[in-house]
Amino acid sequence: MSTNISQTPSERLREVGLYAPGDAVLSVRDLNVRFNTENGVVHAVRGVDFDLLPGKTLGIVGESGSGKSVTSMAIMGLLPETADITGSVRYRGKELLGLSDKAMCKHRGSDIAMVFQDPLSSLTPVYTVGNQIIEALTVHNPIMSKQAKEARAVELLRMVGIPSPKDRLKAFPHEFSGGMRQRVMIAIAIANDPRILIADEPTTALDVTIQAQVLEVLHTAQEETGAAVVMITHDLGVVAGMADDIMVMYAGKPVEKGTVEDIYYNPRMPYTLGLLGAVPRVDTANKQSLVPIEGAPPNLALPVTGCSFAGRCPLVSDACLGGEPELLSVRVLANRPNTNGTDAKTAASHRAACIKAEELGGETDAHHIFRAPAKPVSKFDGVDRGEREKVLELKDVKKHFPLLKGALIKRRIGTVKAVDGLSFDIREGECLSIVGESGCGKTTTLLEIMEFHPDQQGEVVISGVSNKVATDSKTKMAMRKEMQMVFQDPTGALDPRFTVYEVLAEPLENLGMPKAAIKKRIMELMRLVGLQPDHVNRFPNQFSGGQRQRIGIARALAVNPKLVVLDEPVSALDVSVQAGVINLLDQLRAELGLSYLMVAHDLSVVRHISDRVAVMYLGKIVETGDVDEVFDNPRHPYTRALLSAIPVPDPNLERTRERIILQGDLPSPLDAPRGCNFATRCPVFAALPAAKQEKCLTLEPPLASEEAYGQEFACFFPDGEIDADMLVVHT
Amino acid sequence: MTNIIDPIAEIDESRVSDGQDVVIAKSRIIFRRFMRNRTAVAGLFVFLALFLFSLVGGFLTPWNKDTIDPYNIGMGPSPDHFLGTSQAGIDLLALIVEGTRISIFIGLIVGGVSVLVSAVYGCTMAFFGGKVDAIMLFILEALIMMPAILVVAVATSGSGGLKNLPSWLLLIVVLLFFSWMGTARLVRSLSMSLMQRDYVKAAKYMGVPSRRIVWRHLVPNIGSLLVLDFTRGITGAVLAEVAFSFIGIGIKLPDVSLGVLIGQATGQVSSFPWMFWVPLTVMFLLTGSLAMMNDGLRDAFDPSSSSIGRAKRTAVRTVKKTTK
Repeated sequence: MSTNISQTPSERLREVGLYAPGDAVLSVRDLNVRFNTENGVVHAVRGVDFDLLPGKTLGIVGESGSGKSVTSMAIMGLLPETADITGSVRYRGKELLGLSDKAMCKHRGSDIAMVFQDPLSSLTPVYTVGNQIIEALTVHNPIMSKQAKEARAVELLRMVGIPSPKDRLKAFPHEFSGGMRQRVMIAIAIANDPRILIADEPTTALDVTIQAQVLEVLHTAQEETGAAVVMITHDLGVVAGMADDIMVMYAGKPVEKGTVEDIYYNPRMPYTLGLLGAVPRVDTANKQSLVPIEGAPPNLALPVTGCSFAGRCPLVSDACLGGEPELLSVRVLANRPNTNGTDAKTAASHRAACIKAEELGGETDAHHIFRAPAKPVSKFDGVDRGEREKVLELKDVKKHFPLLKGALIKRRIGTVKAVDGLSFDIREGECLSIVGESGCGKTTTLLEIMEFHPDQQGEVVISGVSNKVATDSKTKMAMRKEMQMVFQDPTGALDPRFTVYEVLAEPLENLGMPKAAIKKRIMELMRLVGLQPDHVNRFPNQFSGGQRQRIGIARALAVNPKLVVLDEPVSALDVSVQAGVINLLDQLRAELGLSYLMVAHDLSVVRHISDRVAVMYLGKIVETGDVDEVFDNPRHPYTRALLSAIPVPDPNLERTRERIILQGDLPSPLDAPRGCNFATRCPVFAALPAAKQEKCLTLEPPLASEEAYGQEFACFFPDGEIDADMLVVHT
Repeated sequence: MTNIIDPIAEIDESRVSDGQDVVIAKSRIIFRRFMRNRTAVAGLFVFLALFLFSLVGGFLTPWNKDTIDPYNIGMGPSPDHFLGTSQAGIDLLALIVEGTRISIFIGLIVGGVSVLVSAVYGCTMAFFGGKVDAIMLFILEALIMMPAILVVAVATSGSGGLKNLPSWLLLIVVLLFFSWMGTARLVRSLSMSLMQRDYVKAAKYMGVPSRRIVWRHLVPNIGSLLVLDFTRGITGAVLAEVAFSFIGIGIKLPDVSLGVLIGQATGQVSSFPWMFWVPLTVMFLLTGSLAMMNDGLRDAFDPSSSSIGRAKRTAVRTVKKTTK
């Protein structure tokens, strides 16, 4: 084994094969990228090899900073000239590295196309969508006639599922929603029938339902063009259903490579194991703690001496620090002496860079290896819900914004019903999550609760104190002590000029606590959220994202509140870090008897952490109840669609799952339908006979429960047939 | 406990149990960060030395700015007069001491007060918004459009019954009147964007009173701007004083300032070079030292600047060598 570790690059190239299999459209060999920064030379990509076969999909998975995007940019030749790129990138045997920008332009957009992460900024706002598609066509087909180009543009828009494509050609990007813009991006990318399509986090900026739509479009695009796809993502769920092969990257290096089944069912590298264990599952009720991967990736400005993952690996031993392990076929490792020809071929597909790869396998339990904490038990767990005290109660809370038009004299042209008659309660020790697409009013609901003002429409009762009577500052103060908030963006929520000590002292000083007591309490808090107490003098920017969120949590807990409002507490964090924060929230709830009100768009996180869930659509709750009941037996068609849209990190399940693809986007609150809000997108409604449709369009379904089901939902035809057009199964 | 707790934290537990020795005061952190910037420290020392010189420099020479030495009229540096004398026979050192004091005085007062005024004015505009904002903004715009130089000329020429005030005090008032508007606008827009930040919201939801939010979150976050503006304001005031005195509308004799000295000497650079170069050098030292301090002060107050020290610099350098 030691000989492998000390291989020279040329020896290594011989082993992986200097020349790719003849049929590969793209083969990357020993790709290295270095950037010069203020802090020295950062070695961002350190030896990436892969072959992409036509029509196949390769998923590149890794956390931020692992070099996955840099790899794709290097292939496209889009890195700045200051970057030092070595190795080889061959497109059908032709070397792309070292080509001039002009020569590269021939390939970009016609042979290799790219879909970027942010659809909002990848389209030029001053040109029409049609113009931008035609531009892509003109560059590579100068002789094509104007009519032909226009016809092709319409065809492309239709292919990516944009309704009435002919009229939409003249629309500007701002007239499209995020999901639609991403479709246009895909249309531009496939305009010239590329052989390779690189999608860099194509759905990260989108809602789940829209994500499902866009993934679907990518799927069709691949089928239509037969292109090979490189899918770059941090979400193991997204690639599970799409990819044929997976490459897991860590610290600029592939640490495990194999078929989807190999990676998901038989991971051999502790990092992959940890990643898989760190993702909560939306499809199971198993409430185990998540696998936290402690620590942070190594600084790539310094040379990596041992295994790059050694600092965070629970299985680390002295041998790991001796040198960086090579990416070796796992089965060859397992029975090295007698490898015959056929065995070697199958084995070559699954490679892992770990000296302990042979000890790990399908049965290895990541929870055990990473010493995931036991699921904490709260003192309220045994108490019946009805007997617990209400910490928060909302009665018919409304927030309507007037929509005004006119420069000098403002005219009211409509009302945006951001929150429209919300009622729910939260008991002690309970976590209620509000879920829904962006724009459904989740965050407005939180802000309404936090505002706590007598002039609000509807009543908010916090620990028995109603906003209607809270007119003096003393009652308000008492209520602030009961309820605290954790923000979505941990960087924005901490004053950059405050040391951690000052951040945590602020709420305590506000209560008039003496200085000595504050100091003691802060030390307690730091320990409670798992931070080193002597870090209190640091500024927030000296911490990682996960640590900052812990500081935010500590601040919320400082005054010993009963209720903590969590606004997307983990959505800004990497998967591996996210698990640690979720575990912390779980543990704190049990130890301190806290109640949570959480807003999240990630339903897997919601399922993991909450007891109850409320699904919101256009300012109204459409379904609410116990989290397991709602997730296992969703009754409202919207909930059903939402749940089916979530990708599950399980390739076999993902491939056979039925998926409801909702048409269109969230309607503008301006022209909200008169009857059921959801009728315009409802898959059940679409399949109903006209007589029944009438009911949905005229009457508003009330939120009610039904015999034999625990949850409440607002739908007239809960178990109706789903329209066949909206149902997709990949087989 | 669970593995959420860092092992190092547990080791430290005994040491920090009372928390006394770990919490470092903010002022000390800022001081440390400032001291790391050598240029800034040098600037500070030069400034302090000049300040000290302007206070006690009078003891270095037996002469003062009003006494005429009839035996040494227009003489160069000599043992009697270290820096020489003017053509009226007045000791230059005494004049410089007096001039530096007035210049620093004008600079400090104008720089300090105008920053304070602009911070309060700008924050008030941003915090209240609406009509208050509109009216205050109108006043501000009107002031910006006023021709400062004419007002200075009229005010210091003694018309309007202000004759009994010393001219340097008049100049301070006039300079103050015209120096704060630009910063006030900047402060306004900055604090308007700060009001939208999550940490301001967080403080609001914690029940922190508005007054305290402005004082603890808004002011420190525009702090580096204010500090920069303070040092820049001093420089600006010194330069304005020099410029106004140079064209003869600022400080009037018998008051002396660096500007007056430079202005007087320009016509005689070839015959009395020391009369020109010495006050000019002092002025450069004064404005230069402030500019040097500027950078260090910003770094000290701004946590996002990279003045954490250079612990790892050597290690990085070796990497550079190996990779390139």
